Amino acid sequence: MSHPSPWLLPEGIHNTLPAQAQTLETLRRQLLDLYRSWGYELVMPPFIEYLDALLIGTGADLELDTFKLIDQLSGRMMGIRADMTPQVARMEAHQLQRAVPTRLCYIGTVLRTQPQGLSRSRSPLQVGAELYGHAGVASDIEILRLLLATLATVHLTDLHIDVGHVAIYRSLLAQAQLNAEQSEILFDIVQRKAQPELQQCLAEWSIAENLRTPLAHLLELNGDVTVLSQARAVLQTAPPAVHQALDELEQVAVATADNIQFDLAELRGYGYHTGLVFNVYVDGYGDAIAQGGRYDDIGKTFGRARPAVGFSTDLKILAAVGQLSTPSQEAKIYAPANDDAKLQQKINQLRQQGRCVIQALSGQNESAQQMGCQQHLSQRQGQWRVMDITL
Amino acid sequence: MLKIALSKGRIFKECLPILAKAHIHPVDDPETSRKLILDTNQADIKLVIIRATDVPTYVEYGAADMGIVGKDTLLEYDSPNLYEPVDLGIARCRLMLAGPKQQALPLCNGLRIATKYVNVTKNYFAQQGLQVEVIKLYGSMELAPLVDLADYIVDVVDTGNTLRANGLEPKQHIANISSRLVVNKAAMKLKNQLVKNFIQQIQA
Repeated sequence: MSHPSPWLLPEGIHNTLPAQAQTLETLRRQLLDLYRSWGYELVMPPFIEYLDALLIGTGADLELDTFKLIDQLSGRMMGIRADMTPQVARMEAHQLQRAVPTRLCYIGTVLRTQPQGLSRSRSPLQVGAELYGHAGVASDIEILRLLLATLATVHLTDLHIDVGHVAIYRSLLAQAQLNAEQSEILFDIVQRKAQPELQQCLAEWSIAENLRTPLAHLLELNGDVTVLSQARAVLQTAPPAVHQALDELEQVAVATADNIQFDLAELRGYGYHTGLVFNVYVDGYGDAIAQGGRYDDIGKTFGRARPAVGFSTDLKILAAVGQLSTPSQEAKIYAPANDDAKLQQKINQLRQQGRCVIQALSGQNESAQQMGCQQHLSQRQGQWRVMDITL
Repeated sequence: MLKIALSKGRIFKECLPILAKAHIHPVDDPETSRKLILDTNQADIKLVIIRATDVPTYVEYGAADMGIVGKDTLLEYDSPNLYEPVDLGIARCRLMLAGPKQQALPLCNGLRIATKYVNVTKNYFAQQGLQVEVIKLYGSMELAPLVDLADYIVDVVDTGNTLRANGLEPKQHIANISSRLVVNKAAMKLKNQLVKNFIQQIQA
């Protein structure tokens, strides 16, 4: 086999060229400013760390997604972060150790062994915010509102937030008393809302009728806010945890925008979520663009159980699906190659004002337009002035 | 707008009465038309005509909102990123392990199995504690044991006539197959009412 072209990048890894880089950077600054204005402090977790620390409390999914290598200094296995959420949780639980609610945000590239979602990317630019130390629905609502504000930054307002609550499925599952293998099969079925297979398996496992019906109903409980009242009716005999979850969802429904929907069988991130879970969908994109939820147990493994709720998204996807106005291209200014001290002074002055000035290199013959400039500096009556280039 | 992915041939024909329940009637016939997107009597519902094995891909990526596809294809595709809410009960058949009538080797490690269902075959034998060599073919599986390309085949069996005509017989039943409705996850959320109505109508 011939060698592939040397410029070919690994699957799911991408260059970011100037125009897109500028868009991403502008967006990054806007979001971090937004988070700061809400009191979310920026943290920068390491790109690589010991694998066991990286995977604590996150389940097997993340392990498969993590690139691994051996640390030649310690002989231990290291992993490149595939998700920053557990890293931030660890920093909060282990190092910050504040008694008050703590708000943190982060942005950075993560690497994943498996191409993810529609973009098939293996290197998302993950950005997210997490709120620790408050267990009530108020923090769920704050995080949802911050997520909405994040999406409004890219002018995404025609969107659907799909909200679920893992405690509902978890309580019903506990009642059914399945073994590990059966639980795994059931999880797969519920994820696919495969009603016929559900019926078949529950019958095969001789699950009691009064437990079968709620599980069967669960797959159908998705749609607008009326789903919650339907759930009250069909899950009437369910354990108190289910009703508490429905209470929480009702409060969320009241507090957030109308574009909220419910799916009580949504199980994304089931491995470590403990309460509310949510995904954001926009028209024309066949996959969720942002996701999050409550994960109260993760800090426990770092020595300090702290309630936590947060969301994350991929800045590259946000930029791609968002309605971004092309950044108003401020005219670039071309300056001639000239050592005149007055010219240097003028250039410095313009640059300090935030203008982009490109000075010709001596011997350069290209025109200002060829250099991508719309204005140029020219000398009129001993003064250097910025002039428009007339075509 | 609702796009429904379907394959030509048997599934399409057997789907027509189901679509009719939802008052959807295709305007063109895929057997005579060269169009890949068929209009229906409802302006905002289109049928996308593609290969059966491509249906899960189109639906997972949201290129179609829904699709109708055999459980055999879904078992092989094996993705949790599709909803499979309805068993349509059409295009029924069985996924079988089949081999020569006479002198079939006992099931053991290292058997060569010809199939287009590579994942399903590996999983099926792994569950029995056997590791087999899977030979991927795209059609005419029945030929493989006759020319010593494989010891057994895994394929869908309807009447069993093709097997018999080639001196093969079904040996083990792997799964019952019928066509399923699959739904894109985002479509289920974004077009919830449309999708739910469709499901209700076809199940009525």
